[in-house]
Amino acid sequence: MSSPATDIAKQEGAFPQREAFIVGPDDRILVTGASGFIGARVLQNLFDRGFHNLVCFVRPSSDLSEIEAMIERRAPNVRIEVRKGNLLSREDCEAATKDAAVIYHLAAGTGEKSFPDAFLNSVVATRNLIEASLRFASLKRFVLVSSFAVYSNCDKPNGRILDESCPIDEHPELRGEAYCFAKVRQEQLVAEYGKNCGIPFVVVRPGSVYGKKGDITGRVGIAAFGPFLHLGGSNNIPFTYVDNCADAIVLAGLVKGVDGEAFNVVDDDLPSSRQFLRLYKKNARRFKSIYIPHALSYALCYLWEKYSKWSKGQLPPVFNRRRWHTEWKKTRYSNAKLKTKLGWTPKVATSEGMRRYIETFRRDGRYA
Amino acid sequence: MLKVAIVGCGKIADFHAMQIQRIAGCEIVGVCDREPLMAKQLFERFPVKAYFTDLAELLETARPDVVHITTPAESHFDVARFCLEHGCHVYVEKPFTLYAEQAERLVNVAESKRVKLTVGHNDQFSQVARRMRALVQSGYLGGAPVHIESYYTYDLGDPSYARALLGDENHWVRRLPGKLLQNVISHGIARIAEFMTSDSPHVIAHGFVSSLLKQINEREIVDELRVIISEEQGATAYFTFSSQMKPPMHLLRLYGPKNGLILDQDHEILIRLRGQKFKSYADMFIPPALFAKQHLGNLFTNVRLFLGRDFHMDSGMKYLIESFYRSIREDSPVPIPYREILLTAKIMDAIFEQVAVARTQNGLALKDSPISSGMPAVGIQS
Repeated sequence: MSSPATDIAKQEGAFPQREAFIVGPDDRILVTGASGFIGARVLQNLFDRGFHNLVCFVRPSSDLSEIEAMIERRAPNVRIEVRKGNLLSREDCEAATKDAAVIYHLAAGTGEKSFPDAFLNSVVATRNLIEASLRFASLKRFVLVSSFAVYSNCDKPNGRILDESCPIDEHPELRGEAYCFAKVRQEQLVAEYGKNCGIPFVVVRPGSVYGKKGDITGRVGIAAFGPFLHLGGSNNIPFTYVDNCADAIVLAGLVKGVDGEAFNVVDDDLPSSRQFLRLYKKNARRFKSIYIPHALSYALCYLWEKYSKWSKGQLPPVFNRRRWHTEWKKTRYSNAKLKTKLGWTPKVATSEGMRRYIETFRRDGRYA
Repeated sequence: MLKVAIVGCGKIADFHAMQIQRIAGCEIVGVCDREPLMAKQLFERFPVKAYFTDLAELLETARPDVVHITTPAESHFDVARFCLEHGCHVYVEKPFTLYAEQAERLVNVAESKRVKLTVGHNDQFSQVARRMRALVQSGYLGGAPVHIESYYTYDLGDPSYARALLGDENHWVRRLPGKLLQNVISHGIARIAEFMTSDSPHVIAHGFVSSLLKQINEREIVDELRVIISEEQGATAYFTFSSQMKPPMHLLRLYGPKNGLILDQDHEILIRLRGQKFKSYADMFIPPALFAKQHLGNLFTNVRLFLGRDFHMDSGMKYLIESFYRSIREDSPVPIPYREILLTAKIMDAIFEQVAVARTQNGLALKDSPISSGMPAVGIQS
């Protein structure tokens, strides 16, 4: 039985040749967060590429249905090991990283509003994983899955392209987002290990990942105050379909000659926020939205930031100018480096990805 | 300038640091965590002079006057005792200790070292709780409380969240003698303890696992609790803890011989319950109007406080910390009397013991309960 990803791969014939890879099919590959939205697709992608010594690291409470389905389908020579554990446990990390040639580190503290919680589950967990891997001489690449959230985007003129050369936020603590702070520090930690301990690493920064799960990204707008406030307007949203994103992540762990590099992951033909919202409301669910022009959203973020400071945190500084620059400023995105250096192409076109996304919500009657 | 240190740099430490920096006349001279990355991240985000990974080094180098202990509950006793013995005043996050016996020992050390000690029962110092206390002290109830009802809910959320929190067999909550209850109920129990006069009230507790947790095959974590507390000569009290009740509430009802009061913590509402009835149909028309007037009054009060920048989410914590620091500077009484701290701990011990016994009898023993660990439940009838 072949999977949809395999079918697409066969149709497109697009998987790069194995000679360009740093590992062979028998090498042990670890995927943390393997039961997650992206992690499960990364695992599937590796499986479809013929890698048959895979280790999935998952939380004890994880939903393993997708992994179990994959194990059911596997050929007799394919070994998929599921390790339940906690990345805050050094023992668990050691057991997981033993003999791993490539580590795809996707597990992260997402959705946590607390800075210490996000930091603990991202940075400390990553440190434990790297430290554990240092005990074995097998590691050929550590792939950190990061985020667009790390970019500052403050000092660029309106509309300029955001690519891998853009600066990382030097003061992520001022963004008011625990996730951003944790991700910046996580990247710094990995870079330090790369420099000091010679860990061969690659950083992958996906944009807004969507698929058969996923909320409407905050780059489009927010519903925190009742009606949906549409903030994106004519901005392009840096969407990447989950299978395309997983493909980029997998390639980042396999392709030779990219150690120390970072890759942004966005698809081609990105829709604007307005186009996406129109499509969503027409096909999935109707709801009221209020468009907030960019000048007004900037002014509101400015006022919120100032009030938060003046009132000594009576309102938390969750809306501020740094966040506006990152999420709602008109920006264009590039995937040129991804295509050039990793040979990546989006196998699922944005139009098809959007169709699947909308269809999921329509079929399940769920809200995004 | 009062020199302050924070030990334990996890989630709750952020709240402490935020409130401390709003208080004049103090500075954070050091933060400490065994995990250097955690200590460093707190140091980076707040005006903190230094960070440490060793408690002794923190005390030796930074020489704090006050230490806030925000480590996991199982280490509260050892860390607090160490700091007290080194002459520091200590603020311990809730739950104060694992057992009442440990609480008594800490109080004894504090008294012998002539330093002060408090616990993070900050809900008792929110704006609305302070208004309620002032009314009680003014005699509004018409005497000591006759009956108290304390409701404390905890939203485990959807099953996926419960799975993340409780599906881990090694989760730190499971290591507490009272498990989830121990980590959560002290605020609600402390509210009752404030108005109890006896040191050994009678406690009857019934705990069980909610249907939500049973659905995800959780059998060990008790997330529903009903308690009756009574004194020979004083008040009676009901305590309700629930993860399933809706709406979520943190509510206190006080009934005196003359009038009553309702404190709604979530909405910062204080309602006076008039003891006297109106005549005939007037009792059906006038009280609703009076209640409406009171609710409007609460709204105006909350708006006024917000506009005056005095309505922070953790205003109770700031007030408690400020009061504690004042008691240190002026050598005046601590904001939470030790009697209340100890009574809260004793009532909690009794609850966990009874819940453990009942579940043992049902073949569902709580591991490391006060009984199975050999730690006695102290000084309380049960």
